Amino acid sequence: MNERDSFLRRLRSGLWGLPRSAIDDIIADYEGHFDAGRAAGRSDADVAASLGDPARLARELRAEAGLRRWEDERSLTAALGVIVGIIGLAALDLFVVLPVLVSVVSTLFAFLLLGLVTALGGGLMLPFAFITNLPGFAGDRLQAGLLSLGVMSGGAALTALCILFTIGLVNLLVRYGRAHYRLIARGSNAPLRD
Amino acid sequence: MDSNLVQFKKGVLELCVLALLARSDSYGYDIASRLSAAIDMGEGTIYPLMRRMQKDGLVSTYLVESSSGPPRKYYRLTEGGRKNLNAQKAAWTDFTRAVAAILELDLEKTS
Repeated sequence: MNERDSFLRRLRSGLWGLPRSAIDDIIADYEGHFDAGRAAGRSDADVAASLGDPARLARELRAEAGLRRWEDERSLTAALGVIVGIIGLAALDLFVVLPVLVSVVSTLFAFLLLGLVTALGGGLMLPFAFITNLPGFAGDRLQAGLLSLGVMSGGAALTALCILFTIGLVNLLVRYGRAHYRLIARGSNAPLRD
Repeated sequence: MDSNLVQFKKGVLELCVLALLARSDSYGYDIASRLSAAIDMGEGTIYPLMRRMQKDGLVSTYLVESSSGPPRKYYRLTEGGRKNLNAQKAAWTDFTRAVAAILELDLEKTS
């Protein structure tokens, strides 16, 4: 197997998980590059070495695809794609960012859960005016209903706040990711041309 | 490579591509080989960048039949790309002029 095939194979395997049309498009770009290199009288080995590491290229292309998807659709899977893509970039300062990220995300998740449970609890209590039966509750049914309503909307507000915060956080991550694209170095055995 | 230098080069790469395309439409291999000599980067870097610029609406593509092999993908500057180039060029010129002035000041002091 020659260098051209092995470069394209490694690139393709690195792009695994992207939509098929996107992969074909990317591969076609690099095939065209090899063709143009041949036409210019360069060997496949020379072209492959000048292109740089296909695994690194694939990581960057994948990360960018993930960030794009988030910008197109604000869904949970797209948000996960951003996080996976950024971890794939494996920037050095990720070791600093990752613990912070993990604690922020877990706190956020806890608050989100709390908000959901509160909203659900308030909603369940509302129709039954359940609290009037609790010992120590002196109010009438109307007060109980209003209290349940208050709890429910409080929970819903907390949930909404958490979602807004999550969107902001992922947007921040997108900027972090973009700042960590690198110039992919030419291979070590690539000849320098002027 | 010095990491500072890498950041400089990464920053101006897009500007260089815009400037090349402002002169004439071009294809990936041509852009990559012209820039890789000047900026000392892997030629493969150009394709992720071109995809990003295309999605940002700075460049558009069209296919040209070639005598040998499959048709070639050419990149052309869009109106938005031209505006972006002018803005970046002005910022770059201002910035380098300011830096050069400071560096020369330093030179006069030491000599």
